[in-house]
Amino acid sequence: MTTLRTDLTTPPPRLPVRDRAAARQRAWGGVSPMLGRLATERATGVLVRERGSLYLADGEVVHAESPAVPGLDVLLTARGTLDAAGWRDAVGAAGERSRVGRFLVESGRIGAGALEVCHLGALYDAAYFALSPSGAPGHFTYGDRHWLGPVRPVPVAAVEHETLRRRALLHRIWPDPAPDSAPLLLSGSPAAPTVTARQHAVLALVNGVRTAADIALALARPAFHTLVDVRRLAAAGVIAPKAPPPPAVTAPPPPSASSVSSAPPAPPGTLPPSFADPNITLLKRLRDALEAL
Amino acid sequence: MPGIDECLLEAMRLPGARGAALVDWTSGLALGTVGESPGGDPETMAAEAAELARMAVEHRAFAPEDDDEPAHGFGDGSGDGFGGGATGGPLEQQQDPPVEDLIISNRDSYHVLRFVATSFDSSVFLHLWLARADGNLALARIRLGEMAGRLVLG
Repeated sequence: MTTLRTDLTTPPPRLPVRDRAAARQRAWGGVSPMLGRLATERATGVLVRERGSLYLADGEVVHAESPAVPGLDVLLTARGTLDAAGWRDAVGAAGERSRVGRFLVESGRIGAGALEVCHLGALYDAAYFALSPSGAPGHFTYGDRHWLGPVRPVPVAAVEHETLRRRALLHRIWPDPAPDSAPLLLSGSPAAPTVTARQHAVLALVNGVRTAADIALALARPAFHTLVDVRRLAAAGVIAPKAPPPPAVTAPPPPSASSVSSAPPAPPGTLPPSFADPNITLLKRLRDALEAL
Repeated sequence: MPGIDECLLEAMRLPGARGAALVDWTSGLALGTVGESPGGDPETMAAEAAELARMAVEHRAFAPEDDDEPAHGFGDGSGDGFGGGATGGPLEQQQDPPVEDLIISNRDSYHVLRFVATSFDSSVFLHLWLARADGNLALARIRLGEMAGRLVLG
């Protein structure tokens, strides 16, 4: 912000300036202010946010769920690690005591290591979405326990830190978040670069309807891991998010004095319609390549 | 059947072991760490090792020659009964990683990265940091392979 020096005898009042350091601290120092407090007081219960829930026990994260990710049951049954009946039996036998995880291991259905690896993957995956920025505040219900029970509790700080690291990782791969949530299209790029085996599996499911979350569910693969491949493929120009359908034509709203300022800000990464030229993807890739030099 | 910590502690009993970690190579997250890390920074170590591991599994040049085409390779779920519906049919079994391990040596230490094959979709490897003076690379490589198998048994 530029400060103008003038020779006025009465200096104008200082304009309010956002404290950038504090703003950054708010934006990056924590993903949910409530979580830090809950960790300090060693709370037990569930934090429900817009895109998912975090289960705490004694101030540590024991489980996370989000509708955006394949759950532990999907990850474990889709490829036959557990059969669906075995999973149901375990939930029936130990769900009320909140000890399904331990029951699975003790009854020999799965090894402790395999369950820990799969569960940690699912926990951080759901937490990434549960802790995504949201307009609505989360609320915490004390005392609620998840029926899975503790598998390998993780400190709140570690989950928050990893969530922020993952956001930065996706941003470094491709700074436009549009492919994360939109239906995906093959862009038919003739010069497709080397596509890895795991990316092939993703590409095989891109059909203009499925989103990254649908593909993750179909592959029984953590959603964040799918996003990493989706953003890489978007960066390479192999896939693109499908443009949202044009809004239905309605009568223009009556003009008002505040109409300019009341327009909702476009989400980051989207462009006003007048700039939505097909070459924009190319230009963005060029810009990113130049910045990376 | 040990958990992650037991597995890492077992790795630390190898002669010359300085640090061990279980790392996810897609996200760069360490699911568990014990002992030291180079520079005292386990997070950076995990992220950098993950980058190296990812390169090794993704490049065809390092896969065995009799491996299938990429479309049917490691971690791929695009089997035949699968093209139709988003949730149609069971997925193929997760296949073994195309690479077993990576070995880095420098003046004072070895790093052994051992890929862990799981029956569910995952991208994890064990990372062992060995002091070169006391470490036995051949032994470490064999033991780490056994541990990777035991970690995810069942």
